[in-house]
Amino acid sequence: MNKCVMRHSIAFLTAACFVAPALAADDAAVKKDLFTVITLQGLPCGEVVSVTTRGDNDHVASCKDGNRYHVFLNAQGRVVVEKQ
Amino acid sequence: MSGNPATIHAERQQTRVLFIFGLAFALSIAGCSGVKPPGAQPPSAAETVAPAPTPAPAPSPPSPAIATPSSAAALNPPNPPATPPTTARQSAVKPATPVAKAPETVAKAPFAQPAKKEIAAPDVAKNASPTLDLTSLEQRLKDTKAIGVLTKIALKNQVDDLLGQFRAYYEGKLKTTLADLRRPYDLLVLKVLSLLQDSDPLLASAIVASREAIWGILSDRAKFATI
Repeated sequence: MNKCVMRHSIAFLTAACFVAPALAADDAAVKKDLFTVITLQGLPCGEVVSVTTRGDNDHVASCKDGNRYHVFLNAQGRVVVEKQ
Repeated sequence: MSGNPATIHAERQQTRVLFIFGLAFALSIAGCSGVKPPGAQPPSAAETVAPAPTPAPAPSPPSPAIATPSSAAALNPPNPPATPPTTARQSAVKPATPVAKAPETVAKAPFAQPAKKEIAAPDVAKNASPTLDLTSLEQRLKDTKAIGVLTKIALKNQVDDLLGQFRAYYEGKLKTTLADLRRPYDLLVLKVLSLLQDSDPLLASAIVASREAIWGILSDRAKFATI
């Protein structure tokens, strides 16, 4: 029984070790993408510190300077950045 | 406390194994957390530039480390398709001759990436091909990992807006001049270059090489109509 638990925990920890960095990199990529979009619109944002994903291509980005932006793709296929 | 010595020994062994795995996991997590996304790793100039002059003793003008695409654009005459193709072709055919190498280094200067010099040299020569392949450039922009999806869409929106301005200008609906339209065009190109120059310098140099040719299409009513 103990051996079984140990095997499972090892497997879980190993998987976590591989998955965690991948997710972190993904998150960093989204933050970078949102930061670029916000700055492309000429809006201030020191750095995107957190992202809330509402749906596909629909995010709320919180910036280091306190600004929050709703970044989404509208029906016309345009990227819209709304200050909140 | 309870149980025979054999079970106590087994339990101790298990605890030891768990401790070792825990330690290994903590170490691996610490190692993983140190991994940063491939960003701008400014190569030390002395380290990377040093190998460059070894093949040819003749010193070339020092290439600036800071990207100055406008200087590269200034080097290109407004009608590039006539003369540069021959030099580009020559550099592709005879990469050893110093004469053919000179324009190549000038083209590469804005995006100093000497670390990949050996690999990049033939690619840049290939990218500076005489014919402007808009479709290929578009595809490469779509495929590049240097720009995020939302950024690509936002950039495409801006490109469409600019094309709309040109269309309106040629239809007489927009009271402006070509010189006025050149500014947003340059700005847009700079935006794209700033996004690409660190992560995809080859594509960035291809865009720099095509910059004037693209403007040549946009600023010509007949050519613009064919887009």
